[in-house]
Amino acid sequence: MIKMIDVCKSFAKGKIKAVQHADFEVKRGEVICVIGPSGSGKSTLIRCINGLEIPDSGEVYIDGQQLHFDKLKDQIPLIMRMGFVFQHFNLFPHMTVLDNLTLGPIQAQKKDPKTAVELAKALLKRVGLEDKMESYPAQLSGGQKQRVAIARALAQEPEVLLFDEPTSALDPEMIGEVLDVMLELAKSGMTLVVVTHEMGFAREVATRVVFMDQGQILEVGTPGEVFDHPRSERLRDFLSRVIHI
Amino acid sequence: MSLALIEKILTPENLEFMIKGAGYSLAIAICALFGGSVLGLLAAAAKMSHFKILRAISNIYCEIFRGTPMLLQIMLLYLAGPVLTKTFLDFVYTPNPYIIGAVAIAINSGAYETELFRSVIQAVDKGQWEASHTIGLTYFQTMRHVILPQAFRRVIPPFINEFIVLIKDSSLLSTIGAIELLRSAQIMTSNYYNFFVPYTAAAVMYLVMTVTISNVARGVERRLAESD
Repeated sequence: MIKMIDVCKSFAKGKIKAVQHADFEVKRGEVICVIGPSGSGKSTLIRCINGLEIPDSGEVYIDGQQLHFDKLKDQIPLIMRMGFVFQHFNLFPHMTVLDNLTLGPIQAQKKDPKTAVELAKALLKRVGLEDKMESYPAQLSGGQKQRVAIARALAQEPEVLLFDEPTSALDPEMIGEVLDVMLELAKSGMTLVVVTHEMGFAREVATRVVFMDQGQILEVGTPGEVFDHPRSERLRDFLSRVIHI
Repeated sequence: MSLALIEKILTPENLEFMIKGAGYSLAIAICALFGGSVLGLLAAAAKMSHFKILRAISNIYCEIFRGTPMLLQIMLLYLAGPVLTKTFLDFVYTPNPYIIGAVAIAINSGAYETELFRSVIQAVDKGQWEASHTIGLTYFQTMRHVILPQAFRRVIPPFINEFIVLIKDSSLLSTIGAIELLRSAQIMTSNYYNFFVPYTAAAVMYLVMTVTISNVARGVERRLAESD
């Protein structure tokens, strides 16, 4: 489904090596959780998958089709096969919730507005917000905003959803409602790649967990392998700091 | 200063003459504002473009017209235009001071409006571009549906402010013979050998225009703040 080959990305003219030689593959139906300390390159890695960041080198394939970063303009159909959910939601503040969901389908996919509205309504129902259709983002709570953002990503009917720390900007009492939606997506067989600090979610839902540190993918394995039998010192160290029993 | 003198100078005919001048000032400002916004939008788009040449052209335009006095620009355009056409095209024409004046002010205002448009467009959160990218919008679709509507709300207050500035700047056209508000007052000063009454009347008329507009602007701003 997604294949990354030797992806490198640095910032500040090469001084900050955000992602170093990342090789990775996501299979259809998998739920991948990417964990690691802040600044370890998790977000940069996931942003490289759909061209939000342009890697310095390396290749990305979606279902065998290479994503050509030098001609992103012509890659819109490929990019649209991946939905993206941001930490800070990035909803369109001047549009109603419904318009947020239908803008992409109508403009990018040239869908008939009626069909787009019907799909949007169904998706809002799925995330439990059908009564907020006519609201503006500013009138919603953080958890509701993120659920709208998930629905907006689903409106483009993607084959995989990428989440960049979807709960990190939320108040603690709102994290649950967003994770519930993600759990439901995982159960429905959707392919998910989730950068997260929610270790409980990673352990419960992930088919595989990726541990990153200092721009490198250090360990990949089932939640059991990663959480219960960490091989590297750095992962053991990281887990000891984030998991409080 | 007697009331009789004021009555003698500000006759209904003279007032009508000045109000007509004020009408020209307003019309010149409106034409310059909209001409300037077309230029400003184009130059702002050029300034944010990926093409170095477009960015350079836009920068040169802004530097030249913000870096020289508007009065000089007006005079150059008004006086040098016919000379240029005579030299190169062997064609002489009498420039219309209203049209040439409005064009000159529009070009000058465009240079300022370039920065205005650029700043409000770039003030839109980067995440809005990113979200548009992920849902598959092209550059122009993103501009049209996501960025410009948000930039538009922020541009209204400074845009109205620019309008007020242009009403005052239109007085510079008195130097090239456009009978706008200031020039109409000037004509009356020489007819009556009195400076105080015509100039004060002109000042009051300028104030009526600018204060009205800034009040409207405040209302619009309040309405925008409420809907946020």
